[in-house]
Amino acid sequence: MSTTPAISMSKQILKELPELVRANVISEETAKRIADHYDAQPNPSTNRLLIVFSILGGLLVSMGLVLIVAHNWDELPKGMKLLVGLLPMLIGQAVCGYIVIKNIPSRAWREGCGVFLCFAIALSISIVGQVYNIEGNFGRFLMVWMLLTLPVVYVLRSPATAMLYIVGVTWYACEVGYFSYSSRGVQPWKYWPMLLLILPFCYTEFILKGVKNNFYYFISWLFTLSIAVCLGCFESDNEEMVVITYMSLFSAFVILSQMKMFETNRVLTNAFLVVGSLGIMGLLLLLSFDWYWDELGSISTDGIKFYFALSIEFYFALIFTVLAATLLVLLLRSKPLAEVNLKVFAFLLFIALFVLGAELPGAAQLLVNLVILVFAVYTIRDGATKNHLGILNYGLLIITALIICRFFDTDFSFVVRGLLFIGVGVGFFAANLYMIRKRKQSS
Amino acid sequence: MKTFTIILFVFMCAAQWLVPGKMIYDSEDVVTGGTVFKFKTQPVDPSDPFRGKYITLSFDANSILADSADWQSPGEVYITFTTDSAGFAKPASISSTAPAAAPYLHTTVLYVDSGDPAPITFDLPFDRFYLEESKASEAEKAYWEAQRDSAQVAYGVVRIGAGNAVLTDVMINDRSIVDLVNAMNQTPE
Repeated sequence: MSTTPAISMSKQILKELPELVRANVISEETAKRIADHYDAQPNPSTNRLLIVFSILGGLLVSMGLVLIVAHNWDELPKGMKLLVGLLPMLIGQAVCGYIVIKNIPSRAWREGCGVFLCFAIALSISIVGQVYNIEGNFGRFLMVWMLLTLPVVYVLRSPATAMLYIVGVTWYACEVGYFSYSSRGVQPWKYWPMLLLILPFCYTEFILKGVKNNFYYFISWLFTLSIAVCLGCFESDNEEMVVITYMSLFSAFVILSQMKMFETNRVLTNAFLVVGSLGIMGLLLLLSFDWYWDELGSISTDGIKFYFALSIEFYFALIFTVLAATLLVLLLRSKPLAEVNLKVFAFLLFIALFVLGAELPGAAQLLVNLVILVFAVYTIRDGATKNHLGILNYGLLIITALIICRFFDTDFSFVVRGLLFIGVGVGFFAANLYMIRKRKQSS
Repeated sequence: MKTFTIILFVFMCAAQWLVPGKMIYDSEDVVTGGTVFKFKTQPVDPSDPFRGKYITLSFDANSILADSADWQSPGEVYITFTTDSAGFAKPASISSTAPAAAPYLHTTVLYVDSGDPAPITFDLPFDRFYLEESKASEAEKAYWEAQRDSAQVAYGVVRIGAGNAVLTDVMINDRSIVDLVNAMNQTPE
């Protein structure tokens, strides 16, 4: 954990105090009052450590209890087994009640108790299943567990429990949509309302208060990744349409990252920007191959188009596109066009390419390559303007990826390909050298 | 704000007790009032991350002959059982509405073969028997060793009530698998 500037400054002042008293700059009494003032200040770095340890403690103890109960003690009578399995939940609730009634503000207590109670709930359901040999359905178990965990997040205002909740809801969607054989063709619809139920907490805890701490970063990462992973559960046969949904989703993420309320100081802490941008570029690189456009070109009869328009994928594409478009309008109202990341328009560009690709697949594929090149050049320019080596190299990496992709499926001669690679290599070297020199000059 | 949090806390606790409470109540209801059936079976030993080691039972009586046009997978069905000449459970009827009187099982259709009549395979939602972790694989071994003797019979003792069922024991030659494994552990090799 790094020391914050405020702490290092206070340490500096405390060190100077005897010297200031000796030089008669301040009186002994003032020096004592200054020292007392800093003593009374909570030390954020100690607090942070305490919170981390309390979360780890809560996690380890509760997961340990789950394992101990899973041993299934044959010697214990049924009533005793149930009592042992349900007791941790009672203890968790008692501590939670104490925190709520006494209004204890300590983050460490709240986080530790929330995490412990979350697993105690799982334990209470599992022990009944174990005692009565209930086969159950794992997806439903995860759903009930998470729904019972949700109020814990709000009662204790615990971001760590909110993180577990998002992970649990994602696990539920993956279990039902991807993993479970018995739920073939079943879509985890309840994932969406369950995920949305955590948003009021995130809004009141972080956005409304303007707090951007580590919890906010972790939750935004989990949230974006959760949607990106689970959206695929709602795909059945029309994968061509799913690409529109994903492109709109990633564009919506980039749009959100440009809004003032989601802006962060560092690129890596802005999950919306990283997931959105990487998602868009990854998809475009996949689309720069011909397989997608060949398949799209092959479904051109009216009957199939009609079937296409009635599919779940179509409705998802529609919802996410409308969402991204609405967010884009809101963004452009609050920010001038010149300050907006070009990737916010990716979904509109792709829809135009999709329409074109249904008739002229070859032209659409060519244009995708052009779009990637434009985005790459824009990213390099953006990195140079912001004096950010990471962004600059990301742009160069996009070009490299594009060339590697083309390496495999074009008829360019080896000489041309070789020259392209040398060109990009020199570009990497020159751009980084230019930036480093520029930094040195300005410093 | 504090009052709201306290009210939410009370609801939270109530809900958190309601789920295991309802599960216990429903299972106890079947254990005390349900009718006992013996389901012929074969056990294997996997494990569950939350509930520990168990043996999975694969039952024979998991399909019934009916007109395949009337049933589809996955669909909810009600099955009643009767016993064969050897005293083991066999499905007696399948319906889409609950029979007037218990015992009957509320379950889902797994596969439907085509034809009239054709076997309609349904889920028997009591195919897990939890055991102490050291005993689950021993129990499976006990079963397969005993299986060399062709007269060997393994079955699950299941109580069925109005829709629900609870597996109360697994027997090998009329002896509980738990006792059998305990006896195996006590006998020197």
